Amino acid sequence: MKKLALAALMGTLLMGTAMTGSASAANIGVSMAQFNDNFLTVLRNGIIDYAKTMPDVTLQVEDGGNDVNKQLSEVQNFIASKVDAIIVNPVDTDATTAISKLAADANIPLVYVNRQPSNMDTLPANQAFVGSDEKDSGTLETKQICKLLKDGGKGSGANVYVMQGQLNNQAAVQRTQDIHDVIATSDCSFIKIIDQQTAGWQRDQAQSLMANWLTAGTPYDAVISNNDEMALGALQAMKAAGVDTKTVIIGGVDATQEALASMKAGDLKVTVFQDAAGQGKGALDTALALAKGTKVDKAVWVPFQLVTPENIDTYMSKN
Amino acid sequence: MAEVAAAKGSSVDASQRRPWPSEVNILAGLIAIALMFEVLGWLLIHQSFLINPARLQIMILQVAIVGIVAVGVTQVIITGGIDLSSGSVVSAAAIITMSFAQVSTYSRAVYPALTNLPIIVPIAVGLACGLLAGLINGLIIAYTKIPPFIATLGMMVSARGVSNWYTKGQPVSFPTDAYASIASGIRPVIIFIVIAIIFQIIMRYTLYGRRTYAIGSNADAARVSGINVERHLVLVYTLAGVLSAVAAIVVSSRNLTAQAGMGFGYELDAIAMTVIGGTSLYGGRGSIIGTVLGALIFGVIISGFTFLRIDAFYQEMIKGVIIIGAVVQDVYRQRRRGRI
Repeated sequence: MKKLALAALMGTLLMGTAMTGSASAANIGVSMAQFNDNFLTVLRNGIIDYAKTMPDVTLQVEDGGNDVNKQLSEVQNFIASKVDAIIVNPVDTDATTAISKLAADANIPLVYVNRQPSNMDTLPANQAFVGSDEKDSGTLETKQICKLLKDGGKGSGANVYVMQGQLNNQAAVQRTQDIHDVIATSDCSFIKIIDQQTAGWQRDQAQSLMANWLTAGTPYDAVISNNDEMALGALQAMKAAGVDTKTVIIGGVDATQEALASMKAGDLKVTVFQDAAGQGKGALDTALALAKGTKVDKAVWVPFQLVTPENIDTYMSKN
Repeated sequence: MAEVAAAKGSSVDASQRRPWPSEVNILAGLIAIALMFEVLGWLLIHQSFLINPARLQIMILQVAIVGIVAVGVTQVIITGGIDLSSGSVVSAAAIITMSFAQVSTYSRAVYPALTNLPIIVPIAVGLACGLLAGLINGLIIAYTKIPPFIATLGMMVSARGVSNWYTKGQPVSFPTDAYASIASGIRPVIIFIVIAIIFQIIMRYTLYGRRTYAIGSNADAARVSGINVERHLVLVYTLAGVLSAVAAIVVSSRNLTAQAGMGFGYELDAIAMTVIGGTSLYGGRGSIIGTVLGALIFGVIISGFTFLRIDAFYQEMIKGVIIIGAVVQDVYRQRRRGRI
């Protein structure tokens, strides 16, 4: 009984120091999956730049080196140095249970960013996930294509081809499901999928796939691709076959530099931007809130954003 | 049997003496598969599969790049070896090549000072990369005697590492118009066919070819008959590396980009084409023509599946069955010849 009381007292004391500590200054440990990845670098800089606007916040950013074990040691080191909160961009989303347990045992708030942890449903109270919902990416893309088809007078019936990413990849599965979900709504039920095939996220495979589709001569009104790379491959195949790509309705996801250039040139019509810097900022906000003891939602969503020729200029330098 | 046994030790390919070369069987298989799709096409979607110039073109075009790799892999397999590194070498060579082929108008070029270079620069750099990778493979295999499977597995991992490291995972795009024109239109097919013809002649009519077959048939006998086996193996693997680099140049030019994930699985597709084309995994037997036919079978199947709108999941399963079938057939042929 005495021990329990002591523990409770200690706990309150610790909580107290954590609270007063964060009011004046907060130490945040950040472990990134890897430094040498374009997207994750934008995310990392999003955290760093945002932290610079808050003089009381000190960051310690570590490179997980794409190694589950290295990342775990980094988290242990953060815990040992008693940071106020930890941000983890998991190397492997299946290895997060161990990380969650370490942080929970030490009672240090933990925020996962970008990659959704597999233990999402069982996350302890002071842990959260900040990222973008793949349900949005394919939905935004397909809804926009649906709108373009309607605007083009195809509202009574339209044929589309669907290009899938790697078949066992969560993003590919989800984005393809999004396409089907949008087509199932009464608004877009005029769309019919002629064929749906994988091109493994790759541009060269997409070129071959599109070329094969073109040989069938079946009239199509749009191509919906799971990512920009495959959409660009499809466009190249169309160009090789003498198709006027300016009038083709084709969409992708990612808003890569080349995709934006293609959109500028009038070829790609739709892409979707994932806000890496926004995710970084959101992760830091959530970590600071948790450090203060504020309750946050288990999943904090940073919305995907639709990119079209109308708003492309805002995105040219973002990725 | 007696005739086969006599041919075994000699440095001449046994299949050349037969009145009925195995390539005829493969050609028959190719025609049978194509006709099968033709019939299914009329039955299922009321369309001709073969009477469609655009489709005939894409059938070859989509396998031309891996086909170039397969020409090198065929020679390696004829020596009794294997090359698992080709796909990774393609990606490494493509990324490095492309970084010397960018236009000056692109603000994020890898080497901003080295843009708009004459086309010969990236080509030479690319070929040098492939040559180096192949040379390392060959030297390790010939002089350390470790199995080709392991040596090229190491190169497969390392070369992929190089392509990831070179631009830290970023794609390299926006090539000059001259570079983009290397593989525009049906040029990949022309490059593939020219390379195939050259190596078919080399393998059949030159000392290089006879030595390659001899080493694959029986390396000890080849050594006794005065062939420098080590030096020849280095040459064969180096050529395979160079051909991977040619494929890298073609694939990056055709896609207008080079990426670390490029060429993934090329090595296995190339090996599959080679085996389907009748080259024995036990070495000593096979031909470039066979590999070209094997590549065409691949092309017909890919186009056929898409033509029939067969779900992507089933395509992979069926592709695996065809590869196993070809190897089983090879083992069966070898058994008849008494080699295993």
